[in-house]
Amino acid sequence: MGLQRGVAIIGAGMTRFHHKIHADKTGRDLFVEAALEAMASVDNGIELRDIEALFIGNFSSDSFEHQGHVAALMADWLGLTPRAATRIEAACGSSGAALNIGVMAIASGLYDVVMVGGVEKMRTLTTEEVTDVLAMASDEVYEAAVGFTFPGLYAAMATAHFHRYGSTWEQLCAVSIKNHHNGSLNPKAQFQEEVIDIARRLGERRGMTFKDEMEFLRSPLNPVVAYPLRLFDCCPISDGAAAVIMASEEVARRFTDTPIYVRGIGQASDTMALHDREDLTSIRATRLAAQQAYRMAGLGPEDIDVADVHDCFTIAEVVATEDLGFFPKGEGGKAAEEGRTSLEGDKPINPDGGLKAKGHPVGATGAAMAYEMFKQLRGEADKRQVRDAEVGLIHNVGASGATVVVQIYGR
Amino acid sequence: MFTVKDYRDALAEGYLLASKCRRCGAVQLPPRPICPRCGSGDLESLKAPKRGRVAAYTVIHVPPSRFKGEEPYAVAIVELLEGVRVSGRMLDVSEADLRVGLEVEADVIKLGEEPLLCFRPLKRP
Repeated sequence: MGLQRGVAIIGAGMTRFHHKIHADKTGRDLFVEAALEAMASVDNGIELRDIEALFIGNFSSDSFEHQGHVAALMADWLGLTPRAATRIEAACGSSGAALNIGVMAIASGLYDVVMVGGVEKMRTLTTEEVTDVLAMASDEVYEAAVGFTFPGLYAAMATAHFHRYGSTWEQLCAVSIKNHHNGSLNPKAQFQEEVIDIARRLGERRGMTFKDEMEFLRSPLNPVVAYPLRLFDCCPISDGAAAVIMASEEVARRFTDTPIYVRGIGQASDTMALHDREDLTSIRATRLAAQQAYRMAGLGPEDIDVADVHDCFTIAEVVATEDLGFFPKGEGGKAAEEGRTSLEGDKPINPDGGLKAKGHPVGATGAAMAYEMFKQLRGEADKRQVRDAEVGLIHNVGASGATVVVQIYGR
Repeated sequence: MFTVKDYRDALAEGYLLASKCRRCGAVQLPPRPICPRCGSGDLESLKAPKRGRVAAYTVIHVPPSRFKGEEPYAVAIVELLEGVRVSGRMLDVSEADLRVGLEVEADVIKLGEEPLLCFRPLKRP
């Protein structure tokens, strides 16, 4: 099945993702900032009254800010009332799911222009409390109750992947080093620093020197979070928001000469508990969502010039690049190690720094991926621009893979 | 129809309650109300075997608040029957000995009032 009519992104905005600088802002402040930037990015201008509906991805403002019903809140604060405003929750895949619903809302013919965004204000809680909230996205009864944490589930996938394919933790480090490099080129990223520079900075403070990244990553300055994953295998806790404006193909050209078209969308679910999955080294929902999106777009993995994949943990990027068909199963780690996923590689992955370095305010991540593709495919990604990028893909995952959304865009 | 309480009650009595589909034979652990393979609601109870092999594992160093102070502790996904796996706490095993393929046996311990599914390495005579 294809879309009943074409849909394009005509504008995109996001706050910087960060763990400190937004301390004095609430979720609503962050979303308004992202939404206004998205409005201002529309080449020929757009008015609030042009936006007919709002779809907001948000995981847990209830726990983080004691604030529910955030879609109506954002509509209110943006001056969008009485337009329809709906919150979509799919854990870390919330705004990815919102993007799909935004596309469907336009493709159905109901609306011509909608805003889709995501927001999460997480730094209101301590790391331990955030760990508790994120664990709610796993199966409380059968996983969290025996002691699994969110990093723990991906760590378990890593042990299974290492065992079956002989992939290594050193290969995971290549993902982290690459994403920090890309983050260093992205003014919106939480961490804009190479791993080697972080090693020097932290080492100086403690009178330690490291001959290279790997010596630092093996040191106690990179503590184990959930074996085999260490701190630099994990995305940070972040505050932030992102928003895109979508329009039907018919009206998109009124707003810009360079819309970015949605070529394909896909979404799939899987068992909540990781232990129930048919394969612990692969995320089936990724494979199925990608199949749908590729089929709709009439494209294959070989046609993707640039992709933002859900690297909540380094192993997640390795598994995603295999499940999306970029590399054969079991060879994602090797590809990262060989530099094939770097900005200059044959399959650039996470040019914005990924969740690892750009940050991961969970409900905002899918929308921020769409933001990045909007910039990349329009050639506006400055220092992190992938050369000649014409087709881009985003891959947004809820929790350990019980929800996956894939979208493919083209110029 | 199986509920979460059925599984917990069985756990408190020291066994693993699974469901088996009367139509297609698929086994689910923990038990489910509907067979995910064929969609049938006609399921019978089955005691799952207690011996299995570690399929994946981790050692948690940053715990959730309810397990604070217990870290580091190991958690594993254990395969008890072909394709039938469950998550549990690993006990009596060093980080160095923990590996995929390790033969383990299930046990249930009390954590406060709640029964906790755990696994220990199988002792060979």
